[in-house]
Amino acid sequence: MSDRLAQVEALRKSRPRSRLIRWSAMLAVVCSVLVWLTSDISLADMFSTKRLGHLDRFITNDMLPAKLRGDAFTWGGLGDWCGEQFQLNGARAMLATLCISVLAIVLAAVAGAMLGAFGARNLMSAHPFLPHATVGHGDCSHWLDRVAQFTRLICILLRAVPEYIWAYLLLAMLGTSAWPAVLALAIHNAGILGRLAGETIENLPSQPLRALSMAGGTRRDVAVVGVFPMALGRYLLYFFYRFETCVREATVLGMLGVVSLGYYVIEARAHGQYSTMLFLIFLGGLLVMLADIVSDVARRWLQKGI
Amino acid sequence: MAKPLPLAPRLPTRRVRILTGIFLAAVIAFFGLGLSLGELIPRDSGFQLVLEFFSASVQPAFTYQNSEGLPSDISPFLFKVGRGLWTTLTYAVAAMSLSLIGGMVLGLFASASFWERRHPAWATFRWTVRVLIAAMRSVHELLLALVFLATLGITPGAAVLAIAIPYSGTLAKVFSEMLDESPREAADALSYLGAKPLQVFLIGRFPRALPDIAAYSFYRLECAVRSSAVMGFFGFTTIGLYLRQSFENLHYREVWTYLYALIVVVLILEVWSAHLRRRFVA
Amino acid sequence: MVHLGGTPVLRGVNLEVSCGERVALLGPSGAGKTTLLRVINGVIVPRSGSVEVQDTNLRKLDQGALRQLRSRIGFVHQDHSLVANLRVLHNVVAGRLGQRSFWSSLRDIVRTSKADLLEVHRILERVGIGDKLYQRTDSLSGGQQQRVALARALFQQPKMLLADEPVASVDPTRSRDLLNLMTELAAEEGWTLVVSIHDLELAREFFPRVVGLRNGEVYFDGPAEDLTPQMVTELYSMDSTSSTGGEQDG
Repeated sequence: MSDRLAQVEALRKSRPRSRLIRWSAMLAVVCSVLVWLTSDISLADMFSTKRLGHLDRFITNDMLPAKLRGDAFTWGGLGDWCGEQFQLNGARAMLATLCISVLAIVLAAVAGAMLGAFGARNLMSAHPFLPHATVGHGDCSHWLDRVAQFTRLICILLRAVPEYIWAYLLLAMLGTSAWPAVLALAIHNAGILGRLAGETIENLPSQPLRALSMAGGTRRDVAVVGVFPMALGRYLLYFFYRFETCVREATVLGMLGVVSLGYYVIEARAHGQYSTMLFLIFLGGLLVMLADIVSDVARRWLQKGI
Repeated sequence: MAKPLPLAPRLPTRRVRILTGIFLAAVIAFFGLGLSLGELIPRDSGFQLVLEFFSASVQPAFTYQNSEGLPSDISPFLFKVGRGLWTTLTYAVAAMSLSLIGGMVLGLFASASFWERRHPAWATFRWTVRVLIAAMRSVHELLLALVFLATLGITPGAAVLAIAIPYSGTLAKVFSEMLDESPREAADALSYLGAKPLQVFLIGRFPRALPDIAAYSFYRLECAVRSSAVMGFFGFTTIGLYLRQSFENLHYREVWTYLYALIVVVLILEVWSAHLRRRFVA
Repeated sequence: MVHLGGTPVLRGVNLEVSCGERVALLGPSGAGKTTLLRVINGVIVPRSGSVEVQDTNLRKLDQGALRQLRSRIGFVHQDHSLVANLRVLHNVVAGRLGQRSFWSSLRDIVRTSKADLLEVHRILERVGIGDKLYQRTDSLSGGQQQRVALARALFQQPKMLLADEPVASVDPTRSRDLLNLMTELAAEEGWTLVVSIHDLELAREFFPRVVGLRNGEVYFDGPAEDLTPQMVTELYSMDSTSSTGGEQDG
């Protein structure tokens, strides 16, 4: 009995386990607890009496349009007001937001495809898709590996900086137009799509591509005739997945002064028209939900194979 | 001998149609926004700024770029960077800890696999949760922050909650998809042994999705760091606040220090998660 | 009569298996072997006819009672029946899920009790993989994983073991060992054993009674010796007139 216990204990001691996973999990738990215990972040403070008073005034007074406050409130009146607001700025804001995100995601997709191709390790080797053993390592391979490494680094740099900060910097450089918002979204998403495209290419089944390569195809031939059509379906899945986040981000970039939904939100807030602000935020939510549905439908359609 | 090529070099028409459609949408958007390519070239002052800004990238600041007029007892610049980074990270971690709980609970309720072997009436509940998740995801964290600022005033909790709400929704959606895509055979085998639905789900199905869930959560932490950095633009004391101040004072070298600091944090998280992912597979 | 998606899979199956008997189910794929096993286990309820297991009619049981009954019937699948990224220990302990409350089964995963631990180790040694106690299940070979599945059944302490093609994914030399182990265990524990198998030789070697299924009907039922080569050819012959969509069943 105790003999078996000792055996089990010995097996337990020698069990395969990852220290990294254990430490990461522990660190995550400890950090989460410590953050709430020691920092100045507190949800209780959010609901202190002072803030609740603030909230109360907001709900009873600021939240509603001026002419509907107090006894004047009717649902019909609210409906009419929403219609007015929609025609005044709402429709325009939604349309601009949508246009910004569509243009941005397409630019990002083109750039991301390039970055992905140059960052894929299997494509960027001296003899693409051929098994290394039969090739040997020339200097050429070395040089191309560097290109791939550098491209992946670029991707990280592009996506490490948030869209909002890109837009902020670009706005100062390009002046007020929709370009800073479009470019900011395109830059950040190019970094993300570039990485995803690279992974897609690296995970492609290698046999058909090897066949192309062995038939004498150059790297460009293989990329255009083999890699592109094979990776396209997957890449479009990612494209639609990022499109939805792009719309989400586009709603806020306007807060910097570009004409998207965020611009009108900030304007309304500056004029103390909180009701308009809330309505516009609601419209933004609708737009994102719509994009969400479009993206979901498109992805489901794509998954049936193209 | 080379095998016959399994790929047709001609693209099928359906593919061409999709790509043309996407391209057309971009063209319409371009004209819809009234953009011109000329606007892409910075004009005089802008051009000067571009030159100065990018030449500053090779020499990020390690001390205050212009110490004139600063109080003598002010803490060193790198201290300030560290503090900004620290606040950014604490907001991100606090928000993620909330989102993980919210995302997990909502994700379970939104997944089809959780309700398998249960009364079909639960489907209504599941769809309610799914709509709630979609609603939570639809409002951007900055817009939520704006609402909280208007209703409650500035407090760190507002930034954290503003991030946590949409992040919970996103996590819930992705978690539920991961749970539903995890292999079901082992779970079926447990139900053959007379296990109850909750046991089947938690022991047969959930562990299989856990590595994916952990990896995705890690990626969202990276996103949360970025979101929390941007919160600085609304007056919260994260790195975005300092970055904006430095940029407005034309201290471009300081701006680059902040950017590099953010990039390094993201890089560390990325390397870390890549290593974790490799462990999960083995 | 059992229907899957509108087409009948089992018809007029009249089968009686007594306690402690060892039965092999033979037949081409799609003959209804898997379905029959699921019917015995109560996972599929036939549209007409009755199924009695351990003197209880399955039709009369509610979900809870059905689960209760299932917790006393072991089931070994062809493959993928183990949670791949859990340790062997936890997969074996899961054998008693049906007999334990939700909370105690959770505790089993987090911290297995000493008694269970020792028992699982003893069982694993019995099936020949005692040293794998704490290994991740997906690090084991196919044959070893089937041993884990057997260990799970042993831990479950059933009265009856059903196995659906238990050796189909195991290489031929190992499958003989595995069936040897399975029949040995059945004899030791007094299990009734019903195993679907497509290898005729193995069926003859290990099972005194063979039931041949063809197009959802019992074609042969008797001692293995009585199965003539001509009957075997007939059993496996593809008859176009009666191949009624049985393929749906794996």
